Amino acid sequence: MAVKSYDVLIVGSGHSGGMAANILTGKGISCLMLNAGPEADYEKDRALKHTYELPYRGFNKPGRLPHVFQADEFNANQWVDEKEVPYTYPSDAPYNWVRVRLLGGRSLFWARQSFRLSDYEFKAADIDGTGENWPISLEDLAPYYSRVEQIFRVTGRKEGWPQFPDGDFVESTFPPDTETIKRVTEIANKQGVQVSKWRSALGRDGLASSINLLLPDALTTGKLDIVQNAIVREISVDKNTGLANGAHFIDRHSGREMHVNARVVVLAAGCLESTRLLLNSKIGNSSGMMGHYLVDQMYGVSVVASVPEARDGKAPPGLMGGSAFIPRFRNLSKDKKSDFIKGYCVGISSGASASANYFPLYGAELQAKLDSYANSCVSGSIFGERVARHENHVRIDPNVTDRWGIPVLHIEARDTDNERNLRKDAADTIESWFHDAGWEIICKTDEVNPPGYSIHEVGTCRMGNDPNKSVLNKWCQSHDVKNVFVVDGASFVTCGWQNPTMTILALSMRASEYLAEQMRTNSI
Amino acid sequence: MKRRDFVQNLLITPVAPAIASAQTAPPAEPARQQPLPQANPQMRQTPQQPHEIPKLPTTDADLTAQTAPQYFTALEFATLRKLGEILMPPIKNNPGAIEAGAPEFLDFLISVSPEERQKLYRFGLDSLEQQSKHKFEKSFSELNAEQADSILRPLLASRFWPRDPFKDPMHNFIAEVHEDLRTATMNSREWAAASERGGHRFSRGFRGTGYYWYPIDPISEG
Repeated sequence: MAVKSYDVLIVGSGHSGGMAANILTGKGISCLMLNAGPEADYEKDRALKHTYELPYRGFNKPGRLPHVFQADEFNANQWVDEKEVPYTYPSDAPYNWVRVRLLGGRSLFWARQSFRLSDYEFKAADIDGTGENWPISLEDLAPYYSRVEQIFRVTGRKEGWPQFPDGDFVESTFPPDTETIKRVTEIANKQGVQVSKWRSALGRDGLASSINLLLPDALTTGKLDIVQNAIVREISVDKNTGLANGAHFIDRHSGREMHVNARVVVLAAGCLESTRLLLNSKIGNSSGMMGHYLVDQMYGVSVVASVPEARDGKAPPGLMGGSAFIPRFRNLSKDKKSDFIKGYCVGISSGASASANYFPLYGAELQAKLDSYANSCVSGSIFGERVARHENHVRIDPNVTDRWGIPVLHIEARDTDNERNLRKDAADTIESWFHDAGWEIICKTDEVNPPGYSIHEVGTCRMGNDPNKSVLNKWCQSHDVKNVFVVDGASFVTCGWQNPTMTILALSMRASEYLAEQMRTNSI
Repeated sequence: MKRRDFVQNLLITPVAPAIASAQTAPPAEPARQQPLPQANPQMRQTPQQPHEIPKLPTTDADLTAQTAPQYFTALEFATLRKLGEILMPPIKNNPGAIEAGAPEFLDFLISVSPEERQKLYRFGLDSLEQQSKHKFEKSFSELNAEQADSILRPLLASRFWPRDPFKDPMHNFIAEVHEDLRTATMNSREWAAASERGGHRFSRGFRGTGYYWYPIDPISEG
């Protein structure tokens, strides 16, 4: 049988894989993309239903997806089944690994918050006095951020603040703030805390995914083939050169084993799946750092207050509604000392109603309270940065395999006092703002969901200039195997407080252009 | 020609010559005729692929029958029903837990839930019964609203996330059963009907309608 030969094999079809395919095919490089799951068909795969029509009345099937808190009975089938592709973790440290294997991956469902990392993150070790700096700075990545922001049509308000680098925004004007947003802004400003607006990707036609913004152009070149339901088991290596020469994969339905040849392998399977594949392939880990420095952001710390003059439906026009976004403000200067390093951002939202679980009431009394407090609430929630630590890591579990016989990951991630102190500071700070505004605090928590919940897991193949301390170089290229690149979040050195998608896209674009140039000059 | 007419013609046209051939002389050009499925008795054994299938109306089981509770003991179920009556009564135009069949639904839901949740429910229901017997010398299900309140109110607590467990198991049970009764009520057909009639609108736990994802391209279990 005639088998096509490809220049580059791309594993994964989300934002990072889509970007790699887009850039590489644009340079005339032939690519094969393997995706572990099928292509979704909105017409066939979804139907509008009432909650009461669902088999479990909206509760979801008990015990299904115990670690995907985002899952409900409507969307349960879009996530990876934890029984089909399990993972293990210590009994005292659960981890929420939230995965999508549909074509387009998590780019189909992301929340679209679109931030640049700043040099407070790229050069974090200089500020924190511990950890490692990235081998790149904002200046290196800024041109790529700009191009990504144009493709994804990011909206935002330009501020000129170093901790919150501006982007190339398609829209930068926002409606005037309501009185509640103005009040929080005023109080925060008095403490030297700067307040801005959310930055969000508009995308096109209600979608900001690789499947509508990146892959169509790649397919138009005629240089891209996409195979669905292809589960990559292992990267194959030429014994003489030590270079990768393709991959073994398994047909998801039949279990048939296949092999494809390629000059270069680009991993874009999502940070933990890419690392799992490298570990199972036993390549690229001469540093011993592979799997380590797993990190993501803390979600869950929140404070809710009720605005007295907005209760009982009596809010005057212009009081409630709207939102504000407060980028990191802690530890921006070496002089000011906290009992934690790094920081957090705060999202402020005005005009929501109270949840029943906020009140120790029931029945008619509870309902009267909910009615009275309807649309009177202001909430503040954080995305907090965790410290990337060597001990937070993934490794192959020798005792467990997935449905296709592929060894699974064991994930260990624990918080320390740094995380707990940061959370306490965040909850107390937001509470003090709302208190100063004259509002009634009705709920406050400094607890967070298990690690992984943010779906912003990064690290495990961190980049660096020293091959003894890092897995990838600054081009997302394996130090050990020069024709293997990892273009998803695995290369991150720190996670920042920012949603990582823009950075993943910019890094993938930059790595892919570097790779294309290396291939053009036959350096790879 | 419309597609349906065309299909019908395909089905009909060979039949007439076949009948004609049995009664009269063979047609001038038999080779032009299409093979006739019905003419071959063996072919009748082959399942036919219909061109169209009529869509018949069917009725939802919930409109014809009630959930038969079978997991909890009669005593436990009576306590659960009482909790539904007290914690989620009918308010304004909306059904309460009893009208929405929430206790019956939870009997089913807990029966298919992980063991930890089953234990929490059994522990909680049994504890309420014991407290009631100790305090009022009768079953929890027989208490009046004031008596039930004296047991329940100290067990209520506030929490930010519906999932966050409390350290005290009874606080935990009451928070969970309260949340479950509310959700099972607000997600019910009866609640949706009341909302459509213009009843009081709730938001918590009530999604109304949404896009349900079917199992996507499922793997064959065969």
